[in-house]
Amino acid sequence: MSEMHTEHPQIILVGHPNVGKSVLFNVLTGAYSTVSNYPGTSVEVSSGTSTIAGRKYQILDTPGMYSLMPITDEERVARTILLTHHPHAVVHVIDARNIERMLPMTMQLIEAGLPVILVVNILDEAQRLGLKLDLERLQKQLGIPVIGAVMKRRIGLDELYSAIDAYRFCPHKTFVYQEDLERDLNAVVPLLKGDYRLSRRAVAMLLIQGDEDIRELVTKGEAAAASEEIFDQVRLISFRRRADLHLQIGMERRRICRQLLDGVVTQERQDAESFGQKLSRWMVRPLTGVPILLLVIYFGLFQFVGVFGAGTLVDFLEGMLFEEHINPVVVDAAQKYLTANWLFELVAGEYGIWTLGIRYAVALVLPIVGSFFLVFSILEDSGYLPRLALLIDRVFKLIGLSGRAVIPMVLGFGCDTMATLVTRTLETRRERIISTLLLAMVIPCSAQLGVILGLLAVQPLALMTWILCLVVVFMVVGVLADRLMPGEKPVFYMEVPPLRPPQLANVAIKTLTRMKSYFFEILPLFVIASVVLWAGKMTQALDLVVAALAPVVHAIGLPTGATTAFVFGFFRRDFGAAGLYDLQMAGALTTAQLTVAALTLTLFVPCVAQFLVMLKERGVKIALIIFLFVTLVAFAAGWTLNTFLNLTGFLL
Amino acid sequence: MKCGFCQRDIPPPYQVDPERKSCGSCFGGCRKLHCPWCGYPNPLPGKFLRRLLEKQAGKQ
Repeated sequence: MSEMHTEHPQIILVGHPNVGKSVLFNVLTGAYSTVSNYPGTSVEVSSGTSTIAGRKYQILDTPGMYSLMPITDEERVARTILLTHHPHAVVHVIDARNIERMLPMTMQLIEAGLPVILVVNILDEAQRLGLKLDLERLQKQLGIPVIGAVMKRRIGLDELYSAIDAYRFCPHKTFVYQEDLERDLNAVVPLLKGDYRLSRRAVAMLLIQGDEDIRELVTKGEAAAASEEIFDQVRLISFRRRADLHLQIGMERRRICRQLLDGVVTQERQDAESFGQKLSRWMVRPLTGVPILLLVIYFGLFQFVGVFGAGTLVDFLEGMLFEEHINPVVVDAAQKYLTANWLFELVAGEYGIWTLGIRYAVALVLPIVGSFFLVFSILEDSGYLPRLALLIDRVFKLIGLSGRAVIPMVLGFGCDTMATLVTRTLETRRERIISTLLLAMVIPCSAQLGVILGLLAVQPLALMTWILCLVVVFMVVGVLADRLMPGEKPVFYMEVPPLRPPQLANVAIKTLTRMKSYFFEILPLFVIASVVLWAGKMTQALDLVVAALAPVVHAIGLPTGATTAFVFGFFRRDFGAAGLYDLQMAGALTTAQLTVAALTLTLFVPCVAQFLVMLKERGVKIALIIFLFVTLVAFAAGWTLNTFLNLTGFLL
Repeated sequence: MKCGFCQRDIPPPYQVDPERKSCGSCFGGCRKLHCPWCGYPNPLPGKFLRRLLEKQAGKQ
């Protein structure tokens, strides 16, 4: 990218996404700009020129970044530009409405010793919200030029031109962290002797945070023995502060920024807190957040998915549409035209493609999964999920997970296979293994959940027993995994986006997209499963499997007929749940047996697809250990519950 | 495009080709777009829904 290195002094624009950086770039460069990929990446960087007070400057618009510690390729490119260029000025553009959230990056840029000019953009919107900013005071506090602007109306542009023209770099002020963090920084900074584009203090901070690119830079910038000493020191600090390093640095920066903003930001109109803001606060506080969560579970999962989806909708589709209208026609036609018994069995027999595969997929699973996805999309679009992550972060810490794991866990209620894939986004290997285990064992997928809620809804005590058992298994397995499994504990902090009323179009599109993906994923699998079961029936291999499993099923107090539900369950969790539905409809289970079957089937081995993903994501050894462990725990839990129910007479 | 979980903007290179069928993590067919900030799998609407969306946007 030759355009990025010219003889003109450079001005680099940096900032979060959506703060008006590109608007400023266009205002500065006009039509004379080029967009090209940063060398070795697909990340685009815009470059152009601007003449300010008779002097020509090259302007670089970097991709949006949230901090100097990069996560994405975009941030890495933006940071690399800062590391490799020697600009006349770095213009940091922030959104005046979110000044407290964005100022920590300004602080990082100043701390890094870069020639920073701060542009506080979108001032008009901030003023409309009643925010009054004393930018002169902020300028004094930060020790750098601060310009208030509304770039889309070119307000503040002349001041920015003057600031760029008059800018003379002088050493910036240092922000002082808490004593222990300062001690750690001071243990590393004196060891750094190399010449870096960033200040040594910033390099030390990034090293402690585990920045691999900076580590590489230090390896190149220092003598071999010196870099070893630096890395030893960094290792020691990182190990000592492994539990809360990132959190503490983040909190420290926020504390300093709050101090810097003291007297800078005033809310002119002291409007009362809106209901949305109150609700948002209630959702993350345990005292109010837990009852709200219970309400969401009761109305969203139990009433809507369980009673409406698995009850009303399934009764209509399966009980009326399929049983009374469609199936008789299909079976009659099959009897008439498919004279060979094996062919009739394949299409419309007990395990036929139509009578089992398609019926289960369309009439049983789809309405339940559809109603779940509708609730899920409403929660997602309203911004409830990040609040749930914060709420349960404390509980998750007990089981070795962080609030971040709420993503795979909640997604697991939709489909455990997809959720297992998402565990790769968790920070530590330990967290990934624990969440894979819990997903394979305790989290029922939406179809399973819907069927079980629908079946147990008429027996509140049985439903409570099932939930209680799952919570106990979840906590016991999680706490044991946390105690027994070596490795680093995760740290979690996140920005919570605003709470908003769900948008009808968004919810509809997300629900329909998810339903479509899910349906096209399960339909072929259900058809394959019914063909395999049909082949098993025709060759009598299925009888052998059922006979082999029967003693175990009897041991947990279930009739032989329940064995098929477990065999189905291995193909797909939802397939197994549908099998359980058929058993209950046939009146084959008592309340106690239904509760035991529901618990064992929920805890029972992950389905084939989930197991394959486990193999891919966690490796053969871990996947097999989880598989065996889950099978043992499922039947042990079923046996314990059955024995307890028989001894106490509860639910009998 | 904004992530459904963290509401952050998903940068352009991650906003994949609408014809793309897989999130890159699975064997295909999932039509998911993983947010680079939080890893959340966002559903990508198919052709029909996309056309509806475009129509709606056109009307507005």
